[in-house]
Amino acid sequence: MGKAGGDSRSLINEQGLRIDGRKIDELRPVKIEVGILRNADGSAYIEFGKNKIMAAVYGPKEVHPKHSALPDKALLRCRYHMSPFSTEERKNPAPSRREIEISKVMREALEPALMLEDYPRTAIDVFVEVLQSDGGSRCAGISAASVALADAGINMRDLVAACAAGKVAGQVVVDVDDIEDKEGQADLPIAIMPSSNQVTLLQLDGQLNDEEFNKAFNFAVQGCKQVYQLQREALIGKYFGRSEVPEGGQ
Amino acid sequence: MSAVKKTIVVEQLKRAQMNELLVKGKRLDGRGLLDRRDLTVVTNVIEKAEGSARVTLGNTEVIAGVKVNMGTPFPDTPDKGLLVVSAEVLPLASPYAEPGPPDERTIELARVTDRGVRESGMIDVSKLVLVPGKHVYAVFVDVSILNVDGNLFDAVSAATVAAILSTRIPKYEVPAEGGAPVKTDQKMPLPVQTIPVAVTMAKIGEHLIVDPTSEEEAVMDTRITFVSDDRGNICAGQKGLPGSLTLDQVIFAARTAKLKGEEARLILKQGVGSV
Amino acid sequence: MNIKVKCVYFQVKAVPELKRRFVIPGEVVAHGSLRAETNVMRVGDKIVSTRVGMAEIAHDAVRVVPLSGPYIPRIDDLVVGKVIDYSAFSWEVDMNSCFFGVLPAQSVFGRDYSPAKDSLTDRLAVGDTIAAKVIAFDRTRDPLLSISGPGLGRIPRGQTVKISPAKVPRLIGKKGSMIRSIESGTNCRMLIGQNGVVVVVGAPDDILRAITAVNLVEDQAHSPDLTEKVQGLLGITPQEAQGEQFQERPNDEQVEPSESTVDEATRGKTDEGELSDKEPEE
Repeated sequence: MGKAGGDSRSLINEQGLRIDGRKIDELRPVKIEVGILRNADGSAYIEFGKNKIMAAVYGPKEVHPKHSALPDKALLRCRYHMSPFSTEERKNPAPSRREIEISKVMREALEPALMLEDYPRTAIDVFVEVLQSDGGSRCAGISAASVALADAGINMRDLVAACAAGKVAGQVVVDVDDIEDKEGQADLPIAIMPSSNQVTLLQLDGQLNDEEFNKAFNFAVQGCKQVYQLQREALIGKYFGRSEVPEGGQ
Repeated sequence: MSAVKKTIVVEQLKRAQMNELLVKGKRLDGRGLLDRRDLTVVTNVIEKAEGSARVTLGNTEVIAGVKVNMGTPFPDTPDKGLLVVSAEVLPLASPYAEPGPPDERTIELARVTDRGVRESGMIDVSKLVLVPGKHVYAVFVDVSILNVDGNLFDAVSAATVAAILSTRIPKYEVPAEGGAPVKTDQKMPLPVQTIPVAVTMAKIGEHLIVDPTSEEEAVMDTRITFVSDDRGNICAGQKGLPGSLTLDQVIFAARTAKLKGEEARLILKQGVGSV
Repeated sequence: MNIKVKCVYFQVKAVPELKRRFVIPGEVVAHGSLRAETNVMRVGDKIVSTRVGMAEIAHDAVRVVPLSGPYIPRIDDLVVGKVIDYSAFSWEVDMNSCFFGVLPAQSVFGRDYSPAKDSLTDRLAVGDTIAAKVIAFDRTRDPLLSISGPGLGRIPRGQTVKISPAKVPRLIGKKGSMIRSIESGTNCRMLIGQNGVVVVVGAPDDILRAITAVNLVEDQAHSPDLTEKVQGLLGITPQEAQGEQFQERPNDEQVEPSESTVDEATRGKTDEGELSDKEPEE
């Protein structure tokens, strides 16, 4: 994904609004639902702009094959997968190199939040299925997976919230969508543990100078914190009903 | 959350309870033997796909998406468009599902669904040809199973059919000077001729039951699926699993499939907004 | 996290009564020198939740009552499990947990068990449902089960239904009120394993009704008028229910200590631990 720069002036208009009408520091609409899959031990559905993503957690459970079990902690396995109909052109259902890499960084983004040492010799499977993709599906997927893990009742130090920032038409913006990702100059997806302010995922794709990087990083962190509020509301909504949400949101 | 082995071990208790109820014409979830679970159909759930549908059948949940490209016809059918139906039981759908390429059961599922659509003549594939032998529309229906609770055949078939009905494909035109077809801004529906509906029954002991759940499938001796069109024809069928059916049971199953298929067809039509 | 949280909990220390609040993992439950009990961890001077649940602060202790999660075996728990496999020396039991239970042949056949003489399948076959007690577990090995004891062993009839193990106390209700309502409203008998597996015994139609009620409890566990809803479903009038003598205080239901009237073995062993057994000090 080379960031060509190119003629991308039209991505931000004279009023400073982006191609879908957002301000530079505004997220796309986000909707999170918890516990949507009956068979899974924990699950979540997220709509992040045009992204439509399901996350399911199975486990902790016995490991098969048995020799891959770890004696002192749970084995965390992660699969990020895109449905064939999720993209403009039909995607081959076999996992691509991109999906395999995202599965890996996603696992590593979630692992610091999980108290895997509480479940030795077991496995925890996290499945993230992208039913429709827009820019930022890995971030949306991580945010949904973290909610699904909490729904599954696995001991966690913190949730994980993810959001990207980027550079579009020479300006730093938060939450890069599909068009901005393709036409823009940089994409910086990050994930944080919001309560402890630890970064658990960082990727960068494109050129940013010092000042731009700091600004983009800060934008992404702020984006993560907004996502975190929505994660929290979704979890409270499931267990206590929507009416309880504002009370706890501090 | 249970520790999972590769296959379902059904409790003896559940088996006994199920048999006791079946004799009385009832099932574990309170249904009669020939009652289907609630079927819901929502279309156009994936905007990026040319057609899509999300279907629930009780707790079984599937989503189907249609993508349409330009393709090259098979050499032996130069005057027919391409239709490919695939299915995948996503690992998030069940503790027994595993990531990886589809296993033989999933391939059977996709092929039976494909046969129902193809053999019923649901899509007039002869109208999907732009340049015979060279350029035809290729229709891909991919079905992802999101939650497994039995009777994937009927759920996948319903989602496939609903997604096809909701599909609007980009119109291609062959340039006057010849050459490859060019995509236009116009959209058109697929040339649909009939609405096929699959109805699956499980045989447990001597009882035939419509729309089995996972629990019922775990104890069933055999399974039979019939697909019927809206002109009263049976157009595809599949008996699965090692058990057997009596001759009368087969005739009964075919008749039941047509009867029960009518109800489901109505729900499908309502779901895609064509009633 | 912020000043507001701090204020709330200094106030709690000053006025010692049970305070409950919804929390998610990573959220600060309290500050200072309180004792961290279950499902919380200490980070510096903060006590942080590790689960989705209700935070409770009473006296000098903090804990979170989780609202979801797997069953983690504890010694003396009564569990309902399903035999899924056997070897020459033991059965393997699916106990709705992340660990399989192990039931040694010796604990069933006695000390002189010999694989040459005795056949495991004569006693328990794959697919059998058993009531068992957890007699040893330390997370480094699979939990050890026993079926010797009153009320334990193979369950000959009835139907099982699974609920979230975190909702077992809710299904039992305050001093067993919920389970008694369901039992008397459906003419069924119920055995509730701490692992979230429930056995319902009765006539087939009654079992269907009882299971509907159990599923309602599971789906609506957070609802404050759950008892009324269950009684409504089963057509029990409130008068009859009051005859049961225990009237519930809706706000307290979620975190009551669970005691089943069904079997002694379930007594007093839930995620609740000691905290809600104690009365707040004046």
